[in-house]
Amino acid sequence: MEELLFGIGISAVAGALATVSGAAEDTESDIGSQGDPNSQVQLAPQMGYIHRIYSKAISGEPPAYGLWCALGAGLAWALMAINYNPVLAIVLGSAIAVFVQGVYATTAYLGRTASLAKFEQPVYIDLIKSVTTVTMAHAFVAIFTCVSMCFLMVNALGHPFPLPLLGLVWGIALGAAGSATGNPFYGKERQYQTQAFGAGVPISASGNIVRYAEAGQRSSLDNGWFTSKMGGPASGVCFGLIVFLELWRTIFFEEFAAGWGAVIAGIVLILIFMIIDRFVETWARKTYGPYNTEESAEEASS
Amino acid sequence: MSALGGGSGGGEGINPVGTVVGIVLLLISLGLIYVLSPGMALMALIGVIVGGLLIGFGVHFVPVGGAPAAMGQSPGIATGVTMLAAGAGLAGLFGGAWAAELGFGVALAGGAIGGGLMMAITCLMVNVVYVYAMGIPAASGKVAKDPITGDTFEAYKSQGTEGHGLPFVSYVGGVIGGALGGLGGTLIYLELLSVYEEFLPAALNAPAEQIIPLAVSMAGVFAVGMFLVNAVIAAYNITGTIEGPHDPKFKRFPRAVIGCAVASAVCGLMAILVAVL
Repeated sequence: MEELLFGIGISAVAGALATVSGAAEDTESDIGSQGDPNSQVQLAPQMGYIHRIYSKAISGEPPAYGLWCALGAGLAWALMAINYNPVLAIVLGSAIAVFVQGVYATTAYLGRTASLAKFEQPVYIDLIKSVTTVTMAHAFVAIFTCVSMCFLMVNALGHPFPLPLLGLVWGIALGAAGSATGNPFYGKERQYQTQAFGAGVPISASGNIVRYAEAGQRSSLDNGWFTSKMGGPASGVCFGLIVFLELWRTIFFEEFAAGWGAVIAGIVLILIFMIIDRFVETWARKTYGPYNTEESAEEASS
Repeated sequence: MSALGGGSGGGEGINPVGTVVGIVLLLISLGLIYVLSPGMALMALIGVIVGGLLIGFGVHFVPVGGAPAAMGQSPGIATGVTMLAAGAGLAGLFGGAWAAELGFGVALAGGAIGGGLMMAITCLMVNVVYVYAMGIPAASGKVAKDPITGDTFEAYKSQGTEGHGLPFVSYVGGVIGGALGGLGGTLIYLELLSVYEEFLPAALNAPAEQIIPLAVSMAGVFAVGMFLVNAVIAAYNITGTIEGPHDPKFKRFPRAVIGCAVASAVCGLMAILVAVL
């Protein structure tokens, strides 16, 4: 019983760490424009819209986070092997991984932006100074919490994978969850605020991103401020639920029916999520109603 | 990637020359293992090939809209095919590896459910963001009616887009894809683990209990690597975006399945040779 309670407590802590990790990951990727909407940032100068948005997507978030979390976890694991305190080892490992992220961010921004020179898009040195450090800070939070979560899975829950491999696995899953959930909010809601709310962005508006803030030109720091209100927390809840429920169903139900209990619990959870999704979908159809071509403009303005 | 993913035409059929070359490669891999170590290693390689097939097939179910989905220009999840399938499959591998000591069947089922659960949660949160944060209802651009619920889409589609959101059929496809990915990844892991546990103690001249951490790590690393290989092959077959099992691009899966089988055979051969030789 005590062991079970301990396991559930650890699951809860891991879920909480994962929630923070997901929120920080999405905010980091929005500040650095790393997710899929980044193609619009890349496209904008070609359409004649010069901007001050950072652009560092030279690979997707999942492989990038897989690398950084595996690096952080690997270094922490190596430091623990020479008897460093685990907390110190994880902090140091994550800090070194963040420097790799900073190098990646700088070279990616310079390279991507320089490739747009023929469209007269300048490289802003002040952006490198201000934005890179902010994305590094968010990346540190994401990597540190993800590695801490992996440490708990190995040391407290006894997962067979070594820490660096678990860092790679959960780093990729973290990037996948964050990039899936947070990207639409950054892409549609932030970059295309001039478009109607409650409608998709017409393909003809591609590249016409919003470039001006309340005062002066918008930089990527404004993106972090905006998306941390919705896209970040949503990504955090998504990743937190994945980690918590995955651990919870295993720890709580594995004893039943020689391991099949955890499988059945997983199937029940999937069905519950399916029902909630169907409710969300029908709610949207009822509430927003069918638009036809004439009404879509009115609905947007109301 | 183009604004709305690759065109639907071009390269739909199966290339006979490529297929023959692939099957020859596959047979050479199987033959080599049969000559070097028939029995367990051969069965493991067959298991690895089946795992690769399942991953390649599963990726085709995952609804992926890429950058256009992030703008609400096309339906699906706003990320790349490989990324999402890998995320789901690896979450499944995590669960499968954990359940490995409970037996083959439980581990495989645990891996499949782990991947399915990851996709179920992700798809739900994607829909929550579309509906409550962006005010966009789900509308498919590829079919007029949802094959599962019978919902019609035409009246819910915004002007100038190819649909948006995540219709229920795509949700179900995502869960199936995640489950198949988790199942395939776990199968590869378990097969390689059994080979390493069998052959590494003799190869390294060390007792079996000392070998276990090394065997688990090697099997895990190779499983992750082969997962990415198969997911990337399937992603190239899809070219850009796919809405799920109802999308016409879904019919391309036989080509990816052949490609994944060949790639898994060659990669599996290397992974097994490390221990057998």
